[in-house]
Amino acid sequence: VITLKAFFEEARAGRLTGIRCGQCGELAIPPKEFCPACQERAWEPVPLQGNGTIASFTVIRVPPRGRAAEAPYAVAVVRLDEGVSLLGRIVDIPLDTLKVGLRVRFRPLVYDNQTVIGFAPAV
Amino acid sequence: MKRVAVIGVGVTKFGKHERSTAELFAEAALDAIRDAGVSPRAIQAIYFGNVVGGEGERQLHMGPQVASVLGIPAVPTTRFETACATSHAAFRHAVMELAAGVSDVLLVGGAERVLNLPTDAATEYFAFASDAAFEQPAGLTFAGVFALMARAHMTKYGTTEEQMAHVAVKNHRHGVLNPKAQFQKEITLEQVLASPKIADPLKLYDCCPFTDGAAAVVLASEEVARKSRRPIWILSSAAASDSMCLHDKKDLSRILATERAAQAAYRQAGRGPEDVDVVELHDCFTIAEIMATEGLGFFEPGTGGIAAEKGWTSLGGKLPVNPSGGLKAKGHPIGATGAAQIAEIVTQLRGEAGPRQVDGARVGLVHTLGGNAATVLVSLLSSE
Repeated sequence: VITLKAFFEEARAGRLTGIRCGQCGELAIPPKEFCPACQERAWEPVPLQGNGTIASFTVIRVPPRGRAAEAPYAVAVVRLDEGVSLLGRIVDIPLDTLKVGLRVRFRPLVYDNQTVIGFAPAV
Repeated sequence: MKRVAVIGVGVTKFGKHERSTAELFAEAALDAIRDAGVSPRAIQAIYFGNVVGGEGERQLHMGPQVASVLGIPAVPTTRFETACATSHAAFRHAVMELAAGVSDVLLVGGAERVLNLPTDAATEYFAFASDAAFEQPAGLTFAGVFALMARAHMTKYGTTEEQMAHVAVKNHRHGVLNPKAQFQKEITLEQVLASPKIADPLKLYDCCPFTDGAAAVVLASEEVARKSRRPIWILSSAAASDSMCLHDKKDLSRILATERAAQAAYRQAGRGPEDVDVVELHDCFTIAEIMATEGLGFFEPGTGGIAAEKGWTSLGGKLPVNPSGGLKAKGHPIGATGAAQIAEIVTQLRGEAGPRQVDGARVGLVHTLGGNAATVLVSLLSSE
């Protein structure tokens, strides 16, 4: 089992780690004890390359407290090439060029010393 | 399981209030107790819902506080929290206590107060109901959560911003007929489409407002309910969940928790969507109403937007949805919303909804969604 702490420590170093169920093959983002598809507990860590396409996105124009300086900014759900989705902040992509299907690449971000999943233009 | 009925309802005016959350709840509870025609001494427990009292009023442990303000301090209480579905969850658990024969009369409901807070603080507190590791740090707001689902629905089905705007126009039209509603004014399609963007593709008038308010219902066993003025019977009350994180949900264009809760509620009641005459559902954003009408089985997946556009969900349409004005126009005091929806359906099934009455309504459905679509409750009520 991969803890949130371990997942984000790895992510901060540029490495994304998924977990694959040894019983049914379900690929998931940690942390999870039982497999949400088959409820077995047979996880194996799987390195994720961080390449994917935007499945959906939004541009946040009314942000929560403390985020005013960053707005407007985009948040997207990205379908990684391995077949699992990950939510993150979009960086370095003009907001008016965002579209579903756009190729992006994982980039770790740090805000207030907290690691945040980010996605930047595909290289 | 024993039969259970709603025998009294009470809802405060929705909008801005200067009183504490507990005082607001007591006002709604007083109305519900009077409507039920029972003595406050008859109440054996309080199932109370509140979400951001800890953040907004530095007040946790609100259960005994509301009992104290009501003047029944010895009554056992429990506070529930399932984000925006809070008081519907409280309702379901109270129904189970009565159905099990443990008690005869219970007070259920919720209250919320957020208009004492700056908008950015309220936006932050509401976002606490999304995931703290993945979603909040990315800057996702609740409008953002539903914007991501809206974009997925638009991409898959071709749902348009105009169709979403029709939901807002319709619910504002209904809200005019509800004296308790926060907004009692009509808006036009053009106003919705021209309103400022909040989280693309959602605009200001796609979003429900921040609201203060409270709602309460008195629930009773069959024996007590038979002696009351106008009992409304609970056919079923079901809950379901889906993965907490949006990225773990299998399809952002569907709300699986709604589908699961609806299937359970229909099965328990022995009824189907075709039996429902009137609906109060969770339109926290216009897309949420469209997706709920699909998930509840009223319209095929992908056609909820067409239903809104054609007026099928309007008062006078084939299935009136949110005659109260919905969260959009009536307002959304998050901890009170489920109980307020139940109160509206009870009022409709009693035939006491005045100008917004759905003629001949006998079976009503209540749908309440919590947080990032991870919690849903569905209950079916009947006048018979």
